[in-house]
Amino acid sequence: MGDKPVWEPIGSSFIQHYYQLFGNDRTQLSAVYIDASCLTWEGQQFQGKAAIVEKLSSLPFQKIQHSLMVQDHQPIPDSFIISMVVGQLKADEDPIMGFHQMFLLKNIQVAWVCTDDMFRLALHNFG
Amino acid sequence: MRDVHKDQQLRHTPYSIRCDRRMKWHSEDEICITTWRNRKPPGRKMRQNTQDGYTRNWFKVTIPYGIKYDKSWLMNSIQSHCSAPFTPVDFHYIRNRACFFVQDATTASVLKDVSYKICDDENRKICIFVNHSTAPYSVKNKLKPGQMEMLKLTMNKRYNVSQQALDLQNLRFDPDLMGRDIDIILNRRNCMAATLKIIERNFPELLSLNLCNNKLYQLDGLSDIIEKAPKVKTLNLSKNKLESAWELGKVKGLKLEELWLEGNPLCSTFSDQSAYVSAIRDCFPKLLRLDGRELSAPMIVDIDSSEIMKPCKENFTGSETLKHLVLQFLQQYYSIYDSGDRQGLPRCLPDEACFSLAIPFDAEDSAPNSLRKYFEDSRNMKTLKDPHLKGELLRHTKRDIVDSLSALPKTQHDLSSILVDMWCQTEWMLCFSVNGVFKEVEGQSQGSVLAFTRTFIATPGGSSSLCIVNDELFVRDASPQETQSAFSIPVSTLSSSSEPSLSQEQQEMVQAFSAQSGMKLEWSQKCLQDNEWNYTRAGQVFTMLQTEGKIPAEAFKQIS
Repeated sequence: MGDKPVWEPIGSSFIQHYYQLFGNDRTQLSAVYIDASCLTWEGQQFQGKAAIVEKLSSLPFQKIQHSLMVQDHQPIPDSFIISMVVGQLKADEDPIMGFHQMFLLKNIQVAWVCTDDMFRLALHNFG
Repeated sequence: MRDVHKDQQLRHTPYSIRCDRRMKWHSEDEICITTWRNRKPPGRKMRQNTQDGYTRNWFKVTIPYGIKYDKSWLMNSIQSHCSAPFTPVDFHYIRNRACFFVQDATTASVLKDVSYKICDDENRKICIFVNHSTAPYSVKNKLKPGQMEMLKLTMNKRYNVSQQALDLQNLRFDPDLMGRDIDIILNRRNCMAATLKIIERNFPELLSLNLCNNKLYQLDGLSDIIEKAPKVKTLNLSKNKLESAWELGKVKGLKLEELWLEGNPLCSTFSDQSAYVSAIRDCFPKLLRLDGRELSAPMIVDIDSSEIMKPCKENFTGSETLKHLVLQFLQQYYSIYDSGDRQGLPRCLPDEACFSLAIPFDAEDSAPNSLRKYFEDSRNMKTLKDPHLKGELLRHTKRDIVDSLSALPKTQHDLSSILVDMWCQTEWMLCFSVNGVFKEVEGQSQGSVLAFTRTFIATPGGSSSLCIVNDELFVRDASPQETQSAFSIPVSTLSSSSEPSLSQEQQEMVQAFSAQSGMKLEWSQKCLQDNEWNYTRAGQVFTMLQTEGKIPAEAFKQIS
């Protein structure tokens, strides 16, 4: 941990990539998950790349915009990274809502994939 | 690489393996094993001759750098790779190595095969050397049956049946033993082994053991007590010669509730009393009393963590045991966190852990008062550009983490309203996020309610507790709904209980009236209702009452 904090650029670029995909075409998110991945969406769990992409694609909105306010990244032993994102989102014409998402990233061969993902909407809009 | 053969106990016999380089050793070794197998000894079992102890059947197993590993972890790991159970004899640490003895050739060759099969925490493979050896010290110098009998009688005299306590203080100078010229020096492996053997046979339910004043300078021999008398809860090691708290690690498999250590050189190695207590408690998390003094409530979790850390694909939502473990951990964690003294938290932290926090404001002045105190520590990678500060704010040593947590404002968490998401479980790691609210209990923002989301990444800690390797905290102002529902704060309203719902038009009237009069919505509504929803009349009544000063100040909207 004393050397360059590589987890920061990795985390940041993953997050940027993730929300870009999410906003443009959610079905493409299968690239960031693997078969062993698990998504916890508002307390419900979905396991495996296919189930996760199905859940995300089936969310009831066409258009979604994310605005990220806070990001933090920490390294975990055994080459994992945990990334935290807090921000606001607007789905279709709904009011803006806050959200909080955590990603657990792992290095598989040369790429970084998300092995675990947790999403929660905030009760109200903050900031 | 240390030359194992410098060790005195290895004698040069025709069967020993003599070489300095690993590769050569392995190949010679293989030849040797083949030879043994072909040699097949005659029908008798490989029992050693207790009188002279010099047989070809003992093997010394050495793990270089074994000093890094906890004895039970190491032995369990090795055992799990062996097809048949074996009994390690005289396990001890010497310099950087861990060593023990085994008795038969089959076990020896199985153990040799385990070399490089076990991975430690740092993903390094553990190397195991096995050499022929003379019998271990405790076997070579085994007490004669007559001596054992006398020792047993002496110990019986020192045993208190009602308390299941054995008092072995100053055992060497016990008159009965001295009278018969029996020298029970507990530092010596053979004496300690004999004592433990008697305890195992005669006092297996032992609860309390007093080893005060026996000049003990190491606890390698005592470490076997974990198997022989696992129920011991009270241990007195006072007035011995233990130089470092590291020795205690050798007996940390005992679930001690009371420990005496005063009078040992190790006591003066600590800067202060709390560092001493903290170090001892790291070893024995369930400890209630140290040197006769009661300790504050321990952080204990009563579930065997080895059971729950399994990759459970079937019941992925988390077993009940896990949920229980996490909730129990959170209760204990927050009781210390809210207690005003966060110095008790180190017990759940490894030496290298991570902590950082963030708030959703990037400039100190844009942050509301309640969050100002967190601003200094806030690490928002989106906006924080200073690399030095980025590094600083990611706390990564136990000391740093505890210091920064202790500097955060004093809190009171509302544990009844927390929402916990357990979102990742692997064999060795558990991630869970806690969403909830807490109150500031002192200082300028006293009483303000803040909301948080805190993500913990935990690994099984020693003695069935959780060890937090990562901790990420996000703090924000709580919303009015969150503030109201937390801590069960009652909300006073003016509206009566049987309120008919308002029509769209009526709602619009209330909004307009409120905007014009400056009164809060409830008050505006009441005024309109009292005047049968006649807007003009309500307005006149309002103006009249206001001039007369009959409307209380609380009716009006606060200027925010």
